[in-house]
Amino acid sequence: MKDDVIICRCEDITYGEIVEAIDSGLTTLDELKRVLRTGMGPCQGRTCSRLISRIIVERVGGEVADMKTLLDRPPTMPVEIGILAGEGNEE
Amino acid sequence: MNHRRDGILRNEELKHHLPPLTRLSAGPVVVIECVEDIPCNPCVQACPRDAIVIEGDINNTPTVDYDKCNGCGLCISACPGLAIFVVDASRADGLGTVTLPYEYLPLPKKDEIVSAIDREGNIVSDALVTRVVDSKALDRTPLVSIEVPQQYVMIVRHFRCKDGRD
Amino acid sequence: MRLTRHPILEFDRGREIEFEFEFDGRRLLGFEGESIAAALHANDIRVFRESVRRKRPRGFFCAIGRCSSCLMTVDGIPNIMTCVTPLREGMRVETQRGKGTIPLADLSSAGSPPPEPRRDSDDGATIPLAIVGMGPAGLSAAAYAGRMGVETVVIDENLVPGGQLIKQTHMFFGSREHYAQIRGVDIGDRLIANLESLPVKLMLGTTVLGLYPDRTLSLLAGTRHMQLKADAVILATGASENMLAFENCDLPGVYGAGAVQTLMNVHGVVPGKRVLMVGAGNIGLIVAYQLLQAGVDVAAVIDAAPEIGGYHVHAAKIRRAGVPILISHTILRVTGPDRVESAEICRVDDHWQPVPGSERKLPVDAVCLAVGLTPNCELAFQMGCRQTYMSELGGPVAVHGPDLETSIPGVFIAGDASGVEEASTAMIEGRLAGLAAAEWLGAESDTDELARLRDEAADSLKTLRAGPFGAKAREGKEKMLSSMNEDKAGTQ
Ligand SMILES: Cc1cc2nc3c(=O)[nH]c(=O)nc-3n(C[C@H](O)[C@H](O)[C@H](O)COP(=O)(O)OP(=O)(O)OC[C@H]3O[C@@H](n4cnc5c(N)ncnc54)[C@H](O)[C@@H]3O)c2cc1C
Ligand code: FES
Ligand code: FES
Repeated sequence: MKDDVIICRCEDITYGEIVEAIDSGLTTLDELKRVLRTGMGPCQGRTCSRLISRIIVERVGGEVADMKTLLDRPPTMPVEIGILAGEGNEE
Repeated sequence: MNHRRDGILRNEELKHHLPPLTRLSAGPVVVIECVEDIPCNPCVQACPRDAIVIEGDINNTPTVDYDKCNGCGLCISACPGLAIFVVDASRADGLGTVTLPYEYLPLPKKDEIVSAIDREGNIVSDALVTRVVDSKALDRTPLVSIEVPQQYVMIVRHFRCKDGRD
Repeated sequence: MRLTRHPILEFDRGREIEFEFEFDGRRLLGFEGESIAAALHANDIRVFRESVRRKRPRGFFCAIGRCSSCLMTVDGIPNIMTCVTPLREGMRVETQRGKGTIPLADLSSAGSPPPEPRRDSDDGATIPLAIVGMGPAGLSAAAYAGRMGVETVVIDENLVPGGQLIKQTHMFFGSREHYAQIRGVDIGDRLIANLESLPVKLMLGTTVLGLYPDRTLSLLAGTRHMQLKADAVILATGASENMLAFENCDLPGVYGAGAVQTLMNVHGVVPGKRVLMVGAGNIGLIVAYQLLQAGVDVAAVIDAAPEIGGYHVHAAKIRRAGVPILISHTILRVTGPDRVESAEICRVDDHWQPVPGSERKLPVDAVCLAVGLTPNCELAFQMGCRQTYMSELGGPVAVHGPDLETSIPGVFIAGDASGVEEASTAMIEGRLAGLAAAEWLGAESDTDELARLRDEAADSLKTLRAGPFGAKAREGKEKMLSSMNEDKAGTQ
């Protein structure tokens, strides 16, 4: 795949950037997320996690099955912080 | 080539699912082009003469008792796969008819000339529309009967209106 | 382009209204209540924003508020998800550049307030059973739990119930008990009708943001944030579409199959004039057929696999309409200055590698991706349900047994969320989960009746999965069961 293919569209991260990070030793979704922000966009990795897992496996081997998912922390949807803090309830 | 590679059924795969030649020449009869084991059976209930049977498991393909079938066509619009046709190759004038489900706009009118199309999307001949049924019972799957040269009744499975639209 | 006539659907559009586009106050026409994205699309506007770092043009992609591609500035507020925000008269819609300074707004903080959920439940209330998702699985679960006398609340983020069904114009397979021969769009209505006179409340327009180990659901309806505590929970949250990476895959005009269906079958706006469909499974084949019915050309349906994945009957419908199906083919790139103008495809070899020299350029203005689904299990994972990866079921799923109970007692998962399958199996799984939840809650009901209904549903599920197309789900569920049993044996 070409280096400039967008993998994480929320954060505009390319295949090349991800491969470079993996090759530098970041081999889990979580580590990549901390450094590259992949999976930190408003979609919270829904769109890109699966693709990134595949790239990790392609670079360092292993099984997609063993990859820990990112999607296990609330909220499931991007929300304005104020709403969670209760500001949204205007009555 | 088989149908899993290009989506086209050929005679080799179809032959176990077709009415015998003697039945074809005796009058209108159903052709069910359903060759895969999928869980589905509305055709069985649609037939008023109990001519369509799915034995045992609902995944089995339907079998037709061609002696019971009179080609009424009530099963055509019941098939979610739009895989049922009624063909009539019994006429002496060299013409035959194919009745097929048609879920496109515009719906042709009776006596309109359309282009008859085969399973691969190729135009094979002109065809005269002899009947259009779009009743409420058909639930938006209208039936259209078209007249084609008799040798094409097992080839034609679609048509296109002449103004180019499907 | 808007559809005025459709062989299956009638579009019940709202009032025609004007809204503003861009600073120069260009005035466009749309229909009140349709999504902003659909209105823009109908006006042939494809570029909605500029991406955050690389300033790439983006249009909408998923149409259901999941991907963030469609964020725009609406009435001065940035980060509005235009694909799920209803259009209002006089709205000012602007292309968004960069991230926008105000934190991501929820789907309805712009314009006038959203329609109220049909029936609200009290803030902080406790109810016996909460069901998340009003697709075939959730609605069937509600009907069966309700029949057992369980007081139930069903929650869905959409404004209409039905889940995937509301976009399906084709007749469904199965037998009478699975509503075979009825069009998906009409099955939802029947499932809702089944709830008549049962103790079931529907909360529409409400997203479940979180599910906590104490069974508290955190809910968002418009700008109102609420909590709901439930004794038992059924997750019937469906599945999300998979993305495919290729050159320029983020260019406006590349859509998920679900987005194309939403645009075309819910809003009556076609995605383009000529479409390339990627994926020859049932979804790709069916959506290709639906495109043809809407008068859109389908240049080809391609699939990297060496066989067509979907039913032959679906393939046959589009083949006789003249659409080629190219197996062992993939998409290399799309090109165009700020929207798709062509797509390049090529053959792949036995190792899925592009065959040099086999490239072909197709003039298309849209590409539709139908490359598989992943179960929506986030809520189960948040709560701490044990997860496992099951490629047969579509990816990571919450471990569950034949009664659909997860590793947390009283928490059930059903339908596509428990493994990607079909509406027919989703309905039956929903029934089983509804019955299991009722039993778990100790519903005062006829236990014989419950057992009878459960056996009936279990049989039906077995039959539905018995054929070759059910093999994957069957194997996935069996594998999960044996790993569960091993785990149990290990901990004893
Ligand atoms: C093009 C296409 C054609 C199909 N054709 C057929 C067919 O012919 N026959 C067949 O049997 N099946 C068919 N299917 C499959 C069928 O539609 C699905 O299997 C079925 O809808 C799954 O039902 P479900 O209830 O599990 O999920 P869904 O129908 O996806 O419903 C899940 C609901 O949960 C909601 N939800 C999710 N998360 C949250 C949350 N956090 N908060 C609030 N709400 C939430 C979603 O918005 C959605 O409304 C088709 C699917 C597609 C895409
Ligand atoms: S695409 Fe990566 S976080 Fe959204
Ligand atoms: S979030 Fe609107 S298109 Fe995906």
